[in-house]
Amino acid sequence: MNVASDRRPDPPDLTDALDRLWRQFLPQMFERVSALETAAGPLSAGNLTDAQREMANSSAHKLAGILGSFGLPEGTVLAREAEALCSSGPGAAPAAAARLWEITVVLRSLIQNRK
Amino acid sequence: MSHRILIIDDEDDIREVAALSLETVAGWDVLTANSGAQGLARAIEHQPDAILLDVMMPGMDGPTTFRELRKNPATAKIPVVLLTAKVQSNDQRRFADLGVEAILLKPFDPLTLSTQIAAALGWK
Repeated sequence: MNVASDRRPDPPDLTDALDRLWRQFLPQMFERVSALETAAGPLSAGNLTDAQREMANSSAHKLAGILGSFGLPEGTVLAREAEALCSSGPGAAPAAAARLWEITVVLRSLIQNRK
Repeated sequence: MSHRILIIDDEDDIREVAALSLETVAGWDVLTANSGAQGLARAIEHQPDAILLDVMMPGMDGPTTFRELRKNPATAKIPVVLLTAKVQSNDQRRFADLGVEAILLKPFDPLTLSTQIAAALGWK
């Protein structure tokens, strides 16, 4: 039967192909981080709309689901934390917004600097 | 012997990385669909050996798609592996209760995804 254990790929082939996909989807990664950045201000001010919350939540969820597959497990951990912060209700503490902002800075850097 | 896998996921990046992984690492034949509805149609038409199904999709979500697959005699016996980024145990239990063959977590390792699927489905 044809499973990974008896047909290991040439790792550079997979790595190169993943790098091509990463470049292809890089704009989407930044768009998702931007959605989190957009939510941080209103979250801090206590006036995050449902639409903004949903967008930020969805963006964080998508980042959490893909960054680890591209070799950025720390990005997945941070995106999961961002998802939890965005899911908190309208009375989220200012500290939550500050933490969300910190996370976006690190996520942007991780994505920018992926080798 | 090769396997034919249908990947149903609305996210282009996840779908393409999974397809790349299964084709490159395992040499499997991969079909893709970007929605539950498209996935149902492809499953009926192509009769894959297994389906890798995303949970959170707009419109027909993964659990709904799974129930539709099971309702249709043409697809009822195709093994389904759910792929989810939901890591909380209550979510996992809810998905397991659906009756899927396995649940795999995102993010997956592209180098081992096929091994995980094969192990979950008892493929040697």
